[in-house]
Order: sequence, then structure tokens, then C-alpha cells
Amino acid sequence: MKNYVSMFVMIIVGFILQTTLFRHLRIAGVSPNILVILTAIAGTMYGQYCGLFTGVISGLFVDMMFSSIIGVNIFIYAVIGFIIGMTNKMYIEDDLIFPTMTIAIGDIIYGVLFYVLKFLLRGRLRITDYLINTIIPELIYTIILGVIVFKFAHWMDRKLNPPEPVHLGVETKPDDEQ
Amino acid sequence: MRKKTKMIIDPKYILIAISVICAILIVVSFKFQDKIEPVRSIVGGVVTPMQKGINTIGVKISDKLEYVNSVKKLTKENKKLKDKLAETNAENKLLQQDKYELENFRKLYSLDEQYAKYPKVAARVISGEPDNWYNEFIIDKGTDDGLAKNMNVMAGDGLVGRIVDANKSYSRVRSIVDDSSEVSGSFLKTSDKCIVSGNLSMMKEGKIQISGLDRDAKVKDGYEVVTSQISSVYLPGILIGYAKNIKKDSTNITQSGYLVPAADFSSLDMVLVITKVKNSKDLEEILGK
Repeated sequence: MKNYVSMFVMIIVGFILQTTLFRHLRIAGVSPNILVILTAIAGTMYGQYCGLFTGVISGLFVDMMFSSIIGVNIFIYAVIGFIIGMTNKMYIEDDLIFPTMTIAIGDIIYGVLFYVLKFLLRGRLRITDYLINTIIPELIYTIILGVIVFKFAHWMDRKLNPPEPVHLGVETKPDDEQ
Repeated sequence: MRKKTKMIIDPKYILIAISVICAILIVVSFKFQDKIEPVRSIVGGVVTPMQKGINTIGVKISDKLEYVNSVKKLTKENKKLKDKLAETNAENKLLQQDKYELENFRKLYSLDEQYAKYPKVAARVISGEPDNWYNEFIIDKGTDDGLAKNMNVMAGDGLVGRIVDANKSYSRVRSIVDDSSEVSGSFLKTSDKCIVSGNLSMMKEGKIQISGLDRDAKVKDGYEVVTSQISSVYLPGILIGYAKNIKKDSTNITQSGYLVPAADFSSLDMVLVITKVKNSKDLEEILGK
């Protein structure tokens, strides 16, 4: 439960920062996608349930605020949370490379789904343009920011769920849902 | 609540359920777009005040960054400018005489008079779109300040876009560079009609696409494009930008090219909202007759 509350708070803070502060910190015309980062982190650290939860809430925020049709973003973020949630089994504490990779995968899924649902269906067929101008720059920026956000989320996780003492001779398990 | 579902339901089914709910939501929100407005205002009502605060920090940071970068440049420039100032002062006196002449010419343009006639309200841009696919932003005024859907938004002397959502305390503006935006425009000098549509791949270069221009239209680079009379939401005669690189299409029926917008989209901070909605009912009546 603690995990869900902390994710929820991070979503609100992330959403506000993304729509205000990072609008001014654009590089090559793109801003990073913090909500995708958070969804991917929730999926990697806490599993599919938390990933889905974070995805749905993030999508809801975006849809409520920025889109005249509610549902599309909820679906996209939920799919990201679900797919990234599957990597939870492979996640080892203190590993930084793996979460970074899942964040990258999350952003790719986001870019592709968004393109298919909102652009391809309107007959915009030149995917290479969108790939070069939007998806890849956003991916790079998101990965860089993702490392920082993950460090923070991991620190937060440590505060909320302090690691249990390890008994000798017993294999340590990543604490899943405390 | 989650604890119960944790052990029993497979996440697969949760995802399927979410997908179904989303599909229903999409249909419902599409059909009853007006009725769900109050529900959407809830999130906006909570988030916008925070956004307002943090946005000012963002503006300050980007200002500071620019400040650091430009200090060196500015000192150099300052010297140059001082020399120029003396020169310019002399020139200025000459220009002032020309100004009276210009004002007379301006009066001849009915366009300028029309501009002044539109009642305008200034608003501050407080938040941008959360992803890089769209070009929409939120301004800090809503229905409480007399704004309504479909009102035109300007910055400087060019068209920026229109309000697509007016909530109690904030409104969402879709800019004309947005991929899904289409404006019917007309060339000021030749009154040829064309369609000005945003395009994501051109957006980065700060350009907008022009299409559907008649093949016989004789237009040149730099001609002003203004909103046309036949547009259903945009008031006529607002400057959109300047045409560039107009070429005949391969079909040989129409011409197309691109347009450099008159408003500066890279640094939108204050915008002007024209508080007059184009009355399309009148237009429909005229067309009906």
C-alpha cells in the first residue's frame, strides 16, 4: 500500500514538473516523459499490479487535462505498466542498467503506440519522420532523466521498505511488495 | 483494495478490463463531450494552481540559463550598440516623419482597423503539453474571465490558435502548428484561398504547411496569409504568417508550400485572446440562402 501512495505522490509531482518546468528545459525541441519513467519504474520495482496502477493514474491525469477524448492515454500507459511489470522477476536491487533499459523500452512502447493510435489512424504514414524528430530524441532525453528519477525512486523505496536482515545460507530474494 | 486483488486476479485480466473500460470511456467521452466538462475540471482545478506556481520557477530558470549564456555576448554588444545609438538617434528623427505617412497608409488597410475592433484579453501560458506529439498549452484564464470555446488566440501580431476547451479557471489552446490543426487561409494580396495545416515533422522547423492553393494563383514568397472569411471558427483577417517556397503539386491541379508563422511559437509566454466568437450561425444562414 505504501508503494502505491508513494507512486501516486510521485505521479502528481512528475506531472506538474513535466507540464511546467520541463517545458522550459527542452533540448532539440523535445521534453522528457516523466510519466513513462514512473510507470516503468513502478513496473520494474513493484511488479505488474503497481505498474498498471501507475499507468492508469498517469494516463488519467494526461487525459483529463490535455485530451478531449478520455481513454487513449490510460490505455497506452496501462499497456506500458503491464509489459514492464513482467520484468519485475528479473529485477535485482541496486542494479541500475536494467531499470534504465526498461525505461527505454517503456518510452519506445509509448512512442509506437502513440504513433499508431493517434497518427497512423489519421493516415500519417511517414513513420521515419516521427521516429527521427520525436521518438528518438525523446527516448534519449527520457533515459538520461530516467536514471535520476530511478535513483530517487530507489532511495524512496529503501526508506519505505528497509531491507530485511539476510540470514546466512539463505538466498536473498528481492522484496516484492514488502 | 489492492491487497484483495493481489493474490486472486491475474494482471492479464486487469489489463483486459482496463482496455475495455478505456474503449467505453473513449466512446462515451466522444459522444458526450460537453457533459463531461465538469468532471475534467476536477483534475484541472487541483493541478492548475500548482502549475502556475512552478511555471514561474521554470520561467525563472530558463531566464537564468539564458542570462548566463548571454552576459558575455551582451557586454560586447553593448559597446557596439552604444555607437549605433548615436547613429540611430539621428536616423530616428527622419523616420518619425515617415511614421506619419505610414499611419495614413495603414488606415487604407481595412485589415488593421478590423484588428483593433476585436476585443482582446491577455492571458499567461502556464503549462505545456505533456508529450512531444502535440502542440497544445494551457492558459490561466477560463470561463470565469469570459473566455469560451473556439475563441481565437494571438501572440504579437500573429494567430496562435484557438481555445478547444474552456474550463472554469483555465483553458486549453490548440496552436496552429499542431498536427491536427487546420485553418482556412487566404492570401492578403491576391485573396487566393488555401488550407494552412500543422504538421509534426515541420513543426520543429517552425513551419506550417500550405496546401490546396489554386494552380493559377500567382503568389510569391513573403506574401501575407491571413485567416479567410470562410473559416468556421477563425475571425477573418488575422495574420497567420508569410508564404514560402510555393510550388506546383505533382497533380498539377493545386499548389502547395509552407508558411512561416508570424507568432513566435518557441517562446510563448503571454497571449491575447479575442473574446469574440465567430458566429457560424450567421454564416450558415448566408450560405443557406
